[in-house]
Amino acid sequence: MSALLKVSGLSVAYGAVPAILDVSLELQPGEVRVILGANGAGKTTIIKTLLGLVRARSGTIQFDGKHDLTRLKSHQIHQLGIAWVPEGRQLWGSLTVLENLRMGAFIEHDEAKVEKGIATMFERFPRLKERRHQLAASLSGGEQQMVAIARALISKPRLLLMDEPSIGLAPLVVRDIFDLVRAINQDGISVLMVEQNARQALALAHWAYLLEIGQIVESGPAREISTKERVQEVFLGGAA
Amino acid sequence: MDIFLQQIMNGAVIGSTYAVVAVGFALVFIVLRVVNFAHPEIFMLGMFSGLWAALHISDNLAVVLVAGAIGAGLGGLVLERAVIRPLHGRNMLMTLLATLGVSIILQNGMAIITGPDPVPYPTIIPNMSVPLGPVSLTARQLVNFAACIILLITASYYVRGTKYGRATRAVAERPDVAAAFGVNVSLISLITVVFASLMAGIAAVSVGLLYGSAWAFVGLLYGLKAFIILLVAGNRYFEGVVFVAIALGIIEALITGYVSSGMRDVVTFTLLIGVLYFRPNGVFGSYNA
Repeated sequence: MSALLKVSGLSVAYGAVPAILDVSLELQPGEVRVILGANGAGKTTIIKTLLGLVRARSGTIQFDGKHDLTRLKSHQIHQLGIAWVPEGRQLWGSLTVLENLRMGAFIEHDEAKVEKGIATMFERFPRLKERRHQLAASLSGGEQQMVAIARALISKPRLLLMDEPSIGLAPLVVRDIFDLVRAINQDGISVLMVEQNARQALALAHWAYLLEIGQIVESGPAREISTKERVQEVFLGGAA
Repeated sequence: MDIFLQQIMNGAVIGSTYAVVAVGFALVFIVLRVVNFAHPEIFMLGMFSGLWAALHISDNLAVVLVAGAIGAGLGGLVLERAVIRPLHGRNMLMTLLATLGVSIILQNGMAIITGPDPVPYPTIIPNMSVPLGPVSLTARQLVNFAACIILLITASYYVRGTKYGRATRAVAERPDVAAAFGVNVSLISLITVVFASLMAGIAAVSVGLLYGSAWAFVGLLYGLKAFIILLVAGNRYFEGVVFVAIALGIIEALITGYVSSGMRDVVTFTLLIGVLYFRPNGVFGSYNA
């Protein structure tokens, strides 16, 4: 089976400061893969480069075996079926919940399909239906994360990029979010997630990468990665 | 009392034009984070395009208004692609200086072609007075006022009620997220500048018809006012900008009517400084670039 996403030798720098160096990773269709790393390791940079929001200095990003994302603009990348749940939600706070969802379906020109997508999201997240006319900024953190996920799912993406979906949320909400990711994946959507919450992420993912100071230092099936000394030390809070 | 009401009406008419120019200015600032000092000269281009059409094509009101929109719209199109877009992502001051340069070139370029003095507009709207209860407006004032109010309603509908307007607000708040959800941010920027220019062009023609002249330096009058209005209102609410613009027109008219026209700008600028002292982000709040 050919990879849905194949990143080869990707390097990004902000000015003279390298952010990620020679990163290679891939994702098979239907998989959940997680990139673990501390603050400043370059996780968000990888996601933003995939989305075309940050330009690569070198390397390639193959999507679906035929598109090189490093050559495309962000709005073109989204049209290939790649959606984003940004770090810290990044909702349009001055837009209502409903408007945020409509923006998620911006590329869909068939108004009937947009309405159907919204109805599906409201079925999945009944709380959002109650709050549909509220400004997104007025919601709680957990509700905002639901909007961020619904906004990304409404375009029926093939690949979902999730940037620290658990950050800043209460532990019970975090569990809900990870359950949700599992359900999304069971619907056939591939997920590439970056996380600091290693325990939950590793329980969910098929494969994991460990990113340190911009470089991948470990890679392997999630089950094996969680036993590595380095991961135990840094993320799982204890000597193995 | 009648003079008071009359001055309020006169002021509202003047203020409606300020509102159109200021809203265009505000839209471009909020969406592109660009201080477009050439916007008043786009207004001037519209005024002369309308005049040119009136002299060379037809003196039909609709033709003249559309010509003003086309002239200003083309001006905005070229401005965005040739000056604003290439400087995207650079220091805000660079675009500010570049558009200021364009504004000076357009003012003086037009002065070379048409002369430094106002050029008469043909009489398209008869100079008659229309009674409205205790007050009356001239037919020219009514056309100017109606054109501006329709433009403002159109702008409000576009921004609040259409898919591209929603995308425009999304770009204003988070351009990166909008791009990642399929919005062509560069296209939205272009549409925003052209839309603001079209509005300015139509308003400019109605002003030319009102005063019976077009002038290469007319942008100086409207540009500074629009800038003041934006500072006083803050750039967060469209309606706030319109409110302050009309209020400014009315204050000016009352001062002109009861005190003297010489005092007008003294009072206006004192009010500006007073408001900014107490509300540095404007009366209605601002997005900070």
